[in-house]
Amino acid sequence: MTSSKDRSVTATLAAATCTLLGTIPAPVDAQEEPKWDFNTSVLYYGEDGSRVQDASLKALIRRMFVDDRYLTLGVTVDTLTGATPSGAIRQDVAQTFTRPSGNGSYVVPAGEHPLDDTFKDTRVALSANWTQPMGRAGLFDVGTSFSKEYDYTHLGVNAKYAHDFNKRNTTLSGGISFSKDSLDPVGGSPQPLSEMLDVGDISNRSGSEDKDIIDVVVGITQVINPKLIVQANYSLSQSDGYLNNPYKVLSVVDPITGDTLARTPGIEGGPSGIFLFENRPDTRTQHSIYTQAKYYMGGKVLDVSYRYMTDDWEIDSHTVDLRYRWPLGSEKYLEPHLRFYTQSEAEFYRLSLPDPNDPDGAPLPAYASSDYRLGNFDAITAGLKYGWTTRNGNEMSVRLEWYRQTGTIPADQIIGNQANRDNYPDLNAVIAQFSYRFDL
Amino acid sequence: MKKGILLAGLVMAACSGCSSMGVEPWERDVLAREEMQLTTDPLEAATDDHIYFSKEASSGGRGFGGGGCGCN
Repeated sequence: MTSSKDRSVTATLAAATCTLLGTIPAPVDAQEEPKWDFNTSVLYYGEDGSRVQDASLKALIRRMFVDDRYLTLGVTVDTLTGATPSGAIRQDVAQTFTRPSGNGSYVVPAGEHPLDDTFKDTRVALSANWTQPMGRAGLFDVGTSFSKEYDYTHLGVNAKYAHDFNKRNTTLSGGISFSKDSLDPVGGSPQPLSEMLDVGDISNRSGSEDKDIIDVVVGITQVINPKLIVQANYSLSQSDGYLNNPYKVLSVVDPITGDTLARTPGIEGGPSGIFLFENRPDTRTQHSIYTQAKYYMGGKVLDVSYRYMTDDWEIDSHTVDLRYRWPLGSEKYLEPHLRFYTQSEAEFYRLSLPDPNDPDGAPLPAYASSDYRLGNFDAITAGLKYGWTTRNGNEMSVRLEWYRQTGTIPADQIIGNQANRDNYPDLNAVIAQFSYRFDL
Repeated sequence: MKKGILLAGLVMAACSGCSSMGVEPWERDVLAREEMQLTTDPLEAATDDHIYFSKEASSGGRGFGGGGCGCN
């Protein structure tokens, strides 16, 4: 694939040749004509057990300008359907829940993990970035991002700068991004730790909520030798505002049996047990260290990365990602991919809650969530990608991956009958993506 | 704070060792190959970042932390 970079190299060589020969070079505008690069894909992400399904169209469109400047536009359209764990625990009897809208109810059969099946959304995300050299060794990038789904709006700006040193063998980079997100939950945002109410009763709901996120990333990239390049980044992410998931609840349980306390629904219907809406702290600070190495081995490329994340919710995580690109001739390649992930639970992760109305019971914690993504779990991804270059020089690839999460509830949180049930909503998902990259 | 000092120390140590590493401009043929770029496929990388941001409590590292979704 030729790029404007190749062309500018050609132009420079031509100019140098002309200088040597003492002639005047021809105008270079023909060699640096703008061009478009389209990177497009179709993605299917599907979880088993009628959980989340996402069909997604994505495109990154790059418009080249003279002097190595370019504009990158990103477009994503996601269509999401399926059910998602509500946070309530399994029971040996059927359970009824009020829908998030407050307009109806749904029943979860005995023994099944409570899933809220009202999840349906379309998400549109747009981004635009302008990148240009600054001086001989600098590269500056500034951008903005926007996304919208039914109950969520995101607006962000970001800027990055990278500077080369040491014959371009060392690159130092720094970036900052600000996001302003707003949530307008279906039925209104519930008062934290308030009870799920009967159908039609929205007295514990209020309007929309906001959160602000600041991300700072600094990094170093180093060429070690002609076949090895490494990178190390530190990033800080600070979130402030409404960090709850407005649709997640926790079951209130008997302190001996661990079963959900029963409740008598109203005439219009309502929850069969006592469920409280979750509450998280309104700030979160995350620190991450990310390292990556790429090593060329006679045509094959090994790509290894490791990330450590720690935050003030007491979640620690480790991620190891391995990719091995294996060429099949000069036009095709296979790329196996393995990813291992493990995280510890947030300090306020709870499987269930004590009865707040029991004078002899344990006090209700200030913060509590049973969102499985804040729990203690391990995840593995295994996949294979096949890529090829088409006859007209464009690139295509297909990849198929499996993702599996298996969680563990801390032993000191298991009460009575909960010990007999599988309490963590393990996740199995398939990721299928077809990508096509072409120039115009 | 301690982590910040440790990190600054690591970066300085890494930088002081950098001057003895690296390649001459004419040794860059392999490093210039598309498959040797740190992010080979930006669209796939963005896809993965978004999936794992939605399903796990960690995000970012390679770049900004992502976000911009309710992600149930």
